[in-house]
Amino acid sequence: MIRRIAPLLACLGLLVAWQLASLALKNDSFPTALEAIRAIPAVLGDKDSLVNFGASLRRMAIGFAAAVVISIPLGLLMGRSRAVASFFNPLLMVIYPVPKAALMPIIMLWLGVGDLSKTLVIFLGVSLPVIYHSFEGAKAVEEKMLWSGAAMGLSAVQRLVRIVLPAALPEILTGCRTGLVLALITMITSEMIARQSGAGNILFNALDMGQYDTVFAMIIIVGAMGIVLDALFERLRARLVRWSEPQFDIPLSFS
Amino acid sequence: MNGRAITSDLLLGMIPIVLLVALWQALVSFGYAPVTLLPPPGQVFSRMAQQLLSTTFQQEIAATLFRLFAGFSIATVLGVTIGLAAAVNPAVNAVVRPIVRVLAPLPKVALYPALLLLVGFGHQSKILLVTFDALFPILLATYYGASTVEQKLIWSAMAAGTPPREILFKVVLPAAAPSILTGCRIGLVISCIVVFLAEMITSTDGLGHALVTAARTFQAVDMFVPLITISLVGLILNGLLELVRSYLLRGFPEA
Amino acid sequence: MIEINQVSQVFQTSARQDHLALSDISLTIQDGAFVSILGPSGCGKSTLLYIVGGFVRPTRGAAKMKGRAITGPGPDRGPVFQEFALFPWKSVLGNVMYGPRQQGIKHAEAEAQSRALIEMVGLKGFEDFYPKELSGGMKQRVALARTLAYHPEVLLMDEPFGALDAHTRTRLQNDLLNIWERDRKTVLFVTHSVEEAVFLSDKVVMMTRSPGRIREIIEIDLPRPRRRTELLLDPRYQKYIVEIERMFDDSGEGE
Repeated sequence: MIRRIAPLLACLGLLVAWQLASLALKNDSFPTALEAIRAIPAVLGDKDSLVNFGASLRRMAIGFAAAVVISIPLGLLMGRSRAVASFFNPLLMVIYPVPKAALMPIIMLWLGVGDLSKTLVIFLGVSLPVIYHSFEGAKAVEEKMLWSGAAMGLSAVQRLVRIVLPAALPEILTGCRTGLVLALITMITSEMIARQSGAGNILFNALDMGQYDTVFAMIIIVGAMGIVLDALFERLRARLVRWSEPQFDIPLSFS
Repeated sequence: MNGRAITSDLLLGMIPIVLLVALWQALVSFGYAPVTLLPPPGQVFSRMAQQLLSTTFQQEIAATLFRLFAGFSIATVLGVTIGLAAAVNPAVNAVVRPIVRVLAPLPKVALYPALLLLVGFGHQSKILLVTFDALFPILLATYYGASTVEQKLIWSAMAAGTPPREILFKVVLPAAAPSILTGCRIGLVISCIVVFLAEMITSTDGLGHALVTAARTFQAVDMFVPLITISLVGLILNGLLELVRSYLLRGFPEA
Repeated sequence: MIEINQVSQVFQTSARQDHLALSDISLTIQDGAFVSILGPSGCGKSTLLYIVGGFVRPTRGAAKMKGRAITGPGPDRGPVFQEFALFPWKSVLGNVMYGPRQQGIKHAEAEAQSRALIEMVGLKGFEDFYPKELSGGMKQRVALARTLAYHPEVLLMDEPFGALDAHTRTRLQNDLLNIWERDRKTVLFVTHSVEEAVFLSDKVVMMTRSPGRIREIIEIDLPRPRRRTELLLDPRYQKYIVEIERMFDDSGEGE
């Protein structure tokens, strides 16, 4: 019981700490937690920002889905074939430290400010962790399991789909979980950089206009989205791979 | 693996990178992309060489590196300390676990506006953002490594006369080193990415700022240079960390 | 002298179930005796060893060493584990030196002693190797040297040769007896191999499973020093083995 509500207690604790800190600092640009929470309905009640939000989420979903569909097969192939792995690895290593959201200005230059640019950036942001985890998962599949499969008459493609995919599933889903949080982060960051629309834009507009409680209300909303998305995906993951060893249950997320 | 296999792997890995540059050149040469939008690779690389020698650009790199290292170092110290404490002390664990569970999937970049308001637009806000983002992978990896230390290693050390308070530094820390260094590697790449993004969102210097400045004036060549630079910085730092890692872990299998 | 007094051990296997691993064990081990604890897997024989080591606190009863209650691990009782439990970050020499250094012996002296011990276990020339570079048999030799290095009065050997192939196993059994003949330390040796127990011991303690109880204590009255090739032809040796095997058969214990 305590285990289940512990994260809620932690949220509450963090909010209380925030409240106390802002009361102690008495800084105009640092509203209390209560003030920020009170500002949430106003932000969500605004029709424009809701539409904006919806559009952001739609792009995020499309970018994430496209990345997953392409990255999983690629990662699995890399994991099972050394040639494919050594073909792609250096390229991926070069791309790895490049901030994907930083490509926004260049992609906007080519493809304009429309949905395509924004979705493409999210796609790029999600792809790498999913490829990496699928790769690691496929690489770790027991060779003898594949031999057994071959002995039962499965073709190479069948072995990939019916043995490698399920065996690597726990690892793949870990990648997807990281990717999901990354999709959200890339979306917000690219909106902060492009300053066209979306949650990132609302955040910085409010900052520019000195509406500090809106800024902090937005931070709560975005943070809650991250936490809820992650928790939902974790439930899905736990159902899908009930057979696997219990995993470390905290995700690694990064921008 | 023999030398020839490594060479052929390397050659294979160069193919997609060479193809990418060739495609890039072809797009420009055959007039599919105007030079203002996609400058030819030769032009970008010569500009890059020229910039690397100029003092102003070196200062941008220095600013970025300073923030990167400051943030990454704080994250490493905090992450390893908290991770170890949570692994060996049940009371700390009970508090840290739920808080990390909530904060890890939170898109840290959303906190950036709050950091700007609280500590200003200078170095501190960027360093803090890097710290927040790099902290969790390092903390989680440390926690995981320290809580899976083989019990019999600890028993062996205790039987040899090691007092309980020294076990942490003499056994748990070195035994968790492989995991901690893996966390640091992820944290380092994240630091590269985050520092660049923070500089893009708001800054007066640094590589990210250089990209934004170029984007405002539609200098396509100058937009590519900072991106390639941060990729190189990431590769070089990763290589250095790999050296440290293989030295520190020389006794461990598969290091 | 080690006295084990009415020791019972209960493990909580799940929220609902308790598992009685050891039930009411009383046993006295004389100084200089080589005593084996023999039993099927899951009979709690290792747990009994861990209790003497001070690694595990018994649920009921107590163990005493030289009349003093055992409350924790100490350098008077040196363990050798089946898993070797060598420190992977230390070389062979570093591992063996760990105990003496922990006892406050000067570096040069500790090194000289350790080198002599490494030679004694037959690993001269491997001082600077890391455990990962050694075979299983060599690792167990290092583990034995590491434990002997801090001069424990009692050796606690937890199925030390269980992970080795048959050939290496017999060689190590011979070498262990040769080393033991020099100073005749007290040895408590856990094994599930009847031949191993009879070949090595003065006394074999047979245990039953679930709950772990002492079934029979058999004095092995065979001349020392023992030679394997002579013993294999000795009817008394064969009789001990057949006798013990029969007892296991009768109770349906065996493996």
